[in-house]
Parts: sequence; C-alpha cells; structure tokens
Amino acid sequence: MTARRIAASAAFIGVLAAGAAASRPVWSSAERETLRSLWLGAAEAPPADPTNRYADNPAAAALGQSLFSDTRLSANGEVSCASCHQSDHGFTDTLPTGQGVGTGNRRTMPVTPAVYSPWQFWDGRADSLWAQALGPVENPAEHGFTRTEVVRVIAAYYREPYEALFGPLPDLSDEARFPLRAAPGGDDAAKAAWARMSTEDQTAVNRAYVNFGKSIAAFERTLTVQPTRFDAYVAGVLGKGPYVSLSSDEIAGLRLFMGKGQCANCHNGPMLSNHGFANTGVPARPDLPADVGRSAGVRAALADPFNCKGAYSDAPKACDELEFAVVGSHEQVRAYKVPSLRGAAQRAPYMHAGQFASLEEVIDHYSRAPQAPDGESEIRPANFTLKERRQIVAFLHTLDDGRAPHEQ
Amino acid sequence: MSMSISRRSMAAGVLTSAAILFNVVVADPAAAARPKNLNTSLDRLTDQGVFRISIQSQAQPIRLWRVHQWTVRVTDGQGEPVSGAQLAIDGGMPQHRHGLPTAPRAEPAAAPGDYVISGMKFSMPGWWELKLGVTAPDGRADRITFNVVL
Repeated sequence: MTARRIAASAAFIGVLAAGAAASRPVWSSAERETLRSLWLGAAEAPPADPTNRYADNPAAAALGQSLFSDTRLSANGEVSCASCHQSDHGFTDTLPTGQGVGTGNRRTMPVTPAVYSPWQFWDGRADSLWAQALGPVENPAEHGFTRTEVVRVIAAYYREPYEALFGPLPDLSDEARFPLRAAPGGDDAAKAAWARMSTEDQTAVNRAYVNFGKSIAAFERTLTVQPTRFDAYVAGVLGKGPYVSLSSDEIAGLRLFMGKGQCANCHNGPMLSNHGFANTGVPARPDLPADVGRSAGVRAALADPFNCKGAYSDAPKACDELEFAVVGSHEQVRAYKVPSLRGAAQRAPYMHAGQFASLEEVIDHYSRAPQAPDGESEIRPANFTLKERRQIVAFLHTLDDGRAPHEQ
Repeated sequence: MSMSISRRSMAAGVLTSAAILFNVVVADPAAAARPKNLNTSLDRLTDQGVFRISIQSQAQPIRLWRVHQWTVRVTDGQGEPVSGAQLAIDGGMPQHRHGLPTAPRAEPAAAPGDYVISGMKFSMPGWWELKLGVTAPDGRADRITFNVVL
C-alpha cells in the first residue's frame, strides 16, 4: 500500500515535471546560438586599453573615483562627472540632455558598457575612455572648466596620489606663464590665454590633464556590467545554470527582438550593441543646433590631439579603429551610436537628444520607421501590434540592472 | 465562369496573405532577400575572368567587432602571380543597406601576387559582401564580389 502510494506520488510528480518541461519555450539551434551571443556569461573581458598605461592600475582607479565626483572641477563648483553620470541611475540621469553649468545638446550616456566600445560619445568623437573624459570638463554647457584650472585643483587636493602615480605636477605658480583659465577650446578669454602660453607650457598642462583623464578612465574600467534575469534565463536554457523562467510576454518579446523586430541585428553581442553607428531616422530636435552625428564625430576624433595616435597616447601604433575609420560616407549623416540595451528600460528618456520619453515611444518609432530628417534611415517599418509592443517592453525589462534602487 | 475567376482570385489573395504572414513570422524576415545558392567560395575568377583571386581571413574563426586582416592571392589567366596591383576594397550588407564599418586597405605581402588587407571588421552576423577591384600594373582590371556569411 505504501509502496503503491509512493509510486502514485512519483508518477504524479513525474506528470508535473513533464508539464513544466512542456511549457518551456523551445528554441531552435540557431536561436540558441543567438541567445548565447547575447548572454553576459559568454562575454569576454573588456578589451585592454594600451593607449592608457594606467588603465588597470588600482591607484589610478582610486584617484579617478575621487575625481569623478569632485564638484570643484567645474566653473560654478557644483558640477562633477557624477552630476550627470549618477551611480544610482545606471551612470546616467533622467533628463533629455545633460544639465551641467548649462544645458547640453546630447543625452547623457551610461558609463558601464562604454569600456567595451572603441568609440565614445553618441557620435564617437573620442576613441578612448580617457579622451572622452577630457571633453565634458571643458564643454561650456557641462563643467565649463579649463585644463589649467583642473591641474590647479589636482595640485591643491590630489598632489600626493597624483605624483605617486605620474611624477611631479607642473609648477603653475607663475600666472603669467600659466593663466588661471586657459584652454584651446573654452570661451574666448580662455582660448586667448591658452594661445599666449608657450608650447612647452601647454604640453606640461596637457600631460597633467591627460593623466586626469586616464585616472577617470581607470575608475570607469572598474565598473562592471552585472548579469540580469535575462542572463539567468539564458544560462538555464544553455544548461549552464538552474532553469529560471521568464513570463510568456517576456519570451514573446525576446522572440520579436531576435526575429520580426530585427533588433538583435545591431543590438547584438553581450552588451546588446555592435558598438557601431546607425541612422535610424530619429527626429531632429528643432530647438537644438544642426547635428550630423557620426559624420562630424569621426572627423573630430581624427583631429583630436588626445586620440590613439596622438602625443599623449601610450600606444600610438595600436590604433586600428582610428587608422581604418570610415570618413565621409553618406551613411554617417545623422548616424549615432547603437547604445547598449542593458538597463535601458530603466533609463528614459531615449535617443541622442532624449527625443522619446518612453520605451513605448521608441518602439512606436521602430514600428513606423519614418524618413530620416537628413541622411538615410537604415530601418524599415516593423509594424508592431499593440500586444507586440507590450511584449518587447516586457523583454527589455529582463535586462534591468538589479542594483538600481527604483526598479521592479 | 465568372464564379471560377473570383474563386481563383480569392485563392490568390489567400496565398498572398499567407506569404505576407510567413514573412512576418520567420525568424529572420530579411533572410528572404538572401539569394539561394549564394556562392560563398573564397577562391574564384573575377567577373570578366581576368584574374583568379583567393582570399582568407587571418583570424579563424572571424569574431564580430574585431579589426583583423585578410590574405589575398592574385593570379592571372596563366596562373602567374600578379604583383604590384592596386586593390580597392568595398562591401557591406545588402540586406541592411549599410557598408563596411571600417575602411580596409590592401598592401603587398612578401610573396609575389600576395597582398594583405588590413582593417577588416564585421559588426553584425549575417551575409556580408566583400568587393575587390583589382588593377594590375599593365592596366588589366577586373572586379569580384565575395560573399561571407557570419
């Protein structure tokens, strides 16, 4: 009797197990391959940055971390990198465009996935994390600061850790030689002051300014992308972890993402980004200056004295991306960085100038695929149904960063 | 008679709808545009048969997003290596209407008729075209489109 009961229970459990197994989505081998390609578990370590010999130096990262949130590095003493790149918002903010000492023209980008990308900014006008970090500091709308001011802040508050890493700071006490506010790209007074400096003095300031950028980059390289529910699901599908189910809407959204929506064509790989640039017909904001995206960005990167091939790079011969960069292609007009979709559902608004307030608006855009305001859009209308839109949003939430306090 | 015509057009309509539905449902709708029997040989005669060109990625397997090099061998109709040729490289993804993500360049390699293409990169899985224009020092010129499926 007991034995029969056990057998009956075992059979019942067997039926339950079979039922659960039957309800699991079935993926073809090609789909499993795509799932694996998107899985963080298959991601390689972030690429090394030989142009920054301090890239993986813990002392440089510690210095960079302090500098990242130091508001003394701004014209009004209130703006730091962390003002826009907020650690509790996936290192971005909630505004259409960045708000520093003024209002910028571009949406703040998340920092964490950037370590995987050969090009920084929406238009890729910097070719390393350290070159990127030097831009906003002197942008009149962001920190509104100058490099001579940066070096003075470091001399006053960070001399010891800086000199332990990089050697002696230049002596900026002679204000005739080293004006208080001098930068090649700042306001007119700062530019004029910079132009009066000797080349030697400019180089000394540039070196310290670059070391500041390299420290920030070293800190940024310590920020790691964390696995999400999507990664746990794929691990289970691939037999690399316990099975974790996703809801039927999330699964349907994932199928749309890889299939009908063709999202995974560009949002590929473990960052869900091909680190490239595409014109997807995103509308121009009439209140902002004309913006041609990658067209101008690649030229700016090639002209940047802080690029891979420049005098401040630690590996000026290892510059394949810059060396073979496409320049002058019609495809680059209003092409912008394909952003990582990790944590994307938590960081509205969207696109390079915050044109869309919600994911629903983004998906509506891809559904309609309107003509580009300039250049040519690469996308064609996906014509999503209302149900499909809901499902794609549901899937994108499986990429939510569990560390953010406001999610789920 | 008119009845049978209307039935036929109805049937055609159903077929068309089915075709549209199928396009929507398949995993990769754009795949429909990829020619059947795509020639993926990497050792072929150029369009007019002027040269035979063999190409090979130095990176195996080819990984997405990585800048890498390809080796090219150019021979003529007699099987003689063609040195000193100018190679122009172009390409892209016909299904997605974009070109190569980099601007690769070719340089002569050590052996006669050998060249190295530097700066190759692929940013998406799928069907890529790699187009080579070859101009020999004696003025003979031809082109070829290779198909690479990642």
